[in-house]
Amino acid sequence: MSTLAPPRSGNARPLRTDPGGRPRRGTRRLARREAGFGFLIISPAVLFVAVFTLAPMIASVALSFFSWDVITPPRFVGLDNFERIVRDDAVVSSFGTTLLLAFGIVVVQLVVGLGLAVLVNQRRRPAAKTFFRTTFYLPLLASTAAVSIFMGYMFDMKFGVINYYLNAVGLPSVPWLTSTWGAIVTIILIAAWQQVGFTFVMFVAALTSLPTDVLEAAAMDGAGPVRTLFGVKIPLISPTILFATVVAMINALQLFDQPFIMTKGGPGTATTTATIVMYQTGFQNLQFGYASAIASVLLVIILAITGLQFLAARKWAFYR
Amino acid sequence: MTHIIGAGMDRRALLKLGGAGIATLGLGPLTACSGSGSSDTIKMLYFGQQSAATALQKKLQPQVTKLDKAMKLEVTGINGTDWNDFLAKVLTQIASGSAPDLVSVATEGLQLMASKELLIPLDSYVTKDLSSLQSYFDDIHPALVESMMYQGHLYELPDSFNAGSMFYSTGLLEKAGLEAPKESWTTDDFHTYATKIAATGPKVYAFDWVVRLWGSWTSFLYANGGNLLEEGKYSGGDWLWKSAYKDNPAAVAGRGGGWKWGQPTANSAAAVEALEYLIDLQRSNLSPSPDVGGGATLQGLFSSGRIGMTIGGGFWAGGLHNAGMKDGSFDVQRFPTWKSNKSLFGAGGYGIFNSSKKKDLAWEIVKMMVQPESFDIMFPGNVTTPGRKSLMTAERYSSTGPSNWSVFYDQLEGSVPISAPPYYNALATSLNQRTTKAISTGNAKAALDGMQADFEKAVKGV
Repeated sequence: MSTLAPPRSGNARPLRTDPGGRPRRGTRRLARREAGFGFLIISPAVLFVAVFTLAPMIASVALSFFSWDVITPPRFVGLDNFERIVRDDAVVSSFGTTLLLAFGIVVVQLVVGLGLAVLVNQRRRPAAKTFFRTTFYLPLLASTAAVSIFMGYMFDMKFGVINYYLNAVGLPSVPWLTSTWGAIVTIILIAAWQQVGFTFVMFVAALTSLPTDVLEAAAMDGAGPVRTLFGVKIPLISPTILFATVVAMINALQLFDQPFIMTKGGPGTATTTATIVMYQTGFQNLQFGYASAIASVLLVIILAITGLQFLAARKWAFYR
Repeated sequence: MTHIIGAGMDRRALLKLGGAGIATLGLGPLTACSGSGSSDTIKMLYFGQQSAATALQKKLQPQVTKLDKAMKLEVTGINGTDWNDFLAKVLTQIASGSAPDLVSVATEGLQLMASKELLIPLDSYVTKDLSSLQSYFDDIHPALVESMMYQGHLYELPDSFNAGSMFYSTGLLEKAGLEAPKESWTTDDFHTYATKIAATGPKVYAFDWVVRLWGSWTSFLYANGGNLLEEGKYSGGDWLWKSAYKDNPAAVAGRGGGWKWGQPTANSAAAVEALEYLIDLQRSNLSPSPDVGGGATLQGLFSSGRIGMTIGGGFWAGGLHNAGMKDGSFDVQRFPTWKSNKSLFGAGGYGIFNSSKKKDLAWEIVKMMVQPESFDIMFPGNVTTPGRKSLMTAERYSSTGPSNWSVFYDQLEGSVPISAPPYYNALATSLNQRTTKAISTGNAKAALDGMQADFEKAVKGV
């Protein structure tokens, strides 16, 4: 018989085991009871996820094999919806637009987030750090719809404040939202601006927790700030960069609010993302089966890109 | 699904059944709960803010109580920038199992809802109550009634409409040394006006418009003698014309059973010319790049004196007044003639949902809604044009303007409803996308070829 050492504090009873090291019957019962209690505690969250996330996902994937207009009963059509996606230029083009916008948003979000985090991390006064952390995080707390409406007014070609100041310094008005590349760049900048707080906060936390001995060693070896940043700090926070990239990419691939509100997916289809096509197909054209098939393909694309990111990270992410 | 269930169910059939089962699991809650709520509540959908819907509900409740003491009216407001937003949300609500009893819907959604059998034909009700409705039919323009027909049946009783006229800023016209345009003005006159108004200042645009089906570049298309779809009419409708309008057969000569929208003509020569006309206005700096849907921005610009002319209907009388414009600071004229004097309009009215369990009471409410006294409860402050001519009075427009208010109703003669077929939502999506594409690239023909292809796909239902 052996008894595990009791914890230093608290009233938890030591786990009793038999000579073979296995928990005794009474202990097993206790473990089962504790496990049951644990399951009970997490069951509301599991139930919530099951009802509001898992079930709709399964239903949506299942619906992609049906033709359904909401009003009449669904009709099984096999893989027809998926075959149609391949032939539908509008849908294929929307996936291209989604990838373009997502790539732009993620790059801007990571570069700006990291740059701001490095600058803020160099501040010595805690009050300044707190101020900048709060300021850069604030856009993330604002409603995306409200921000999009507001930004739509700011970037309006006719009376937007951006063009007002451009005109004030003698520059011509820019068709921010009414030209193809103007709309793409504006949507990327606004989406990245709103999300940058998320990556910024993660990078600040990662940079703050860097081991001082490594940084001191780099300094003793004569590494300057730039060399330290690229040769020491960035490699050390690479797992955080990986996580931020994955999360940012998943979010960006589901972009909807900004282009839907600011440009209605235009001009033409320049900013029509896959999610906008899903909305139009399902809720406006009443082709819910086809819209679900588009959603399923988007899900597969997101999973594939995420998988690729993890595979690529094996080469560059550094785990201590 | 019965065809896949048999005695010898193979693996494929089992898989199909499994898929159907999963789908049903997800869809079950959506499809199962049809019906229209508790037995003492009658529900109506309304395009607007919930606060306005609630106010409307309070005002209408006493009238509903007169019809049924125990009945409670529930008006739900649905927001949206345009009718396709409204319709998408209505259809979603129906899918969620909370189909209402009544709906106030415009021309944009009529054929969509009728073709899906979401609304019921009102023919038998109208025939039954024709004597009590005679004063209504005597008062309302048959063009509005015909616009609410589909395949020979009447699906809504109209109470309002908006015809696309040309509003102008009297201040800017005066500044440009221009007199009010005459009723017979043409698009050449319009261009002269635009050039002179634009010369009044660097921050002034002569003309602005909104990308949408109603009152967009489509107004120029109609004036150019074209349309987005082939115009035709369903047969039928005589059951109504020969009874309700028996004393005025001239007014209903040529009327049919509703507008039949045929093959797409989106890239016709008339369409290309009309869209190029608008693009040229922008190139000449006479017009800014237009917004998509709604018109709130345009209203703000017009009311602040930065826009000289724009397309509007009776709804702008109240809209501009509410935006702070004083009576006399704006006025209206018929849409200018181009190759024809054809103009467009859209109507609004009330229909009954097929799923309603209180259809008879709903019909009584529909009749109540088209009574003259209901109009200002439903639309306070001239935010649309009354369908009943008796309500078109100088007194109505005395506090809001415009002076030339009679144009609204007069323009109905010879006008055609907006081309809103059963696939209206797909049409509106394509119209918005292809128009903005044409404006950003300057290539109207290529954009309209794309629109034509989109419409052809929509006609086939793919």
